[in-house]
Amino acid sequence: MVDRRTGAVSVDLSIPVQADLVVLARLAAATVASRAGFGVEDIEDLRLAVEELCLSLVGAREDGRLHLTYECEGDAITVRCGYETADGEDGSRGADADDLSLRILDALVDEHGHELRDRRPSAWLRKHRSDAAV
Amino acid sequence: MDQTFTIEDEEIDGVPVVSASGEIDVATAPPLRDRLQALAASGKATVVVNLLGVTFLDSTALGVLVGALKRCREAGGDLPLVIEEPRILKVFEITGLTGVFPIFESVREAVGSVK
Repeated sequence: MVDRRTGAVSVDLSIPVQADLVVLARLAAATVASRAGFGVEDIEDLRLAVEELCLSLVGAREDGRLHLTYECEGDAITVRCGYETADGEDGSRGADADDLSLRILDALVDEHGHELRDRRPSAWLRKHRSDAAV
Repeated sequence: MDQTFTIEDEEIDGVPVVSASGEIDVATAPPLRDRLQALAASGKATVVVNLLGVTFLDSTALGVLVGALKRCREAGGDLPLVIEEPRILKVFEITGLTGVFPIFESVREAVGSVK
């Protein structure tokens, strides 16, 4: 969705949690960020960060769905990821997410976090364009 | 964007070299893990992993490589990596793994280090 007044863009994506489909989450991130004027380095950082955001929620599980929202506003992109488990249980790793994933997120994005949204394990990240005026 | 993932085995001067290319992620890391486990099971204590053709690598791939490194060192060997692409090297740097793996810019250097 594009807000014609502010230029803000919001894209929603829902994918089954399957190893070979997580690529769609990072492809969408690259597309949205490219459209918003992010440079190649930022886009590559974002692709990896979104992958790690998803992994930090689902770990090795292969059930349920991931619901992602990509929002671009100003010089920043915000990606939110909610995990709907197949059995309705909170199967996410959340705060226990793999240390490597968290280290990668720390290095590649400006902010990130885990939370419960609508009783669903969720994670989010925000990244500003590195060429944006400070 | 090259999403084709391939693994090739060869032996150079008696040293096994596993060359991966494409994107190593949660979907493609398991075949790499299986290949490295098979080499360890066949008694190869040292294996060079050539990542020159890799275009994307996530924490799942790092986990596979760390697990393989541990097995190699327990067997008295090592797991030298070959990385040239700054983007791939960056993933090792930000996770503190450049101090854990021996990393070389060419297969020749990596093989030479363990002969």
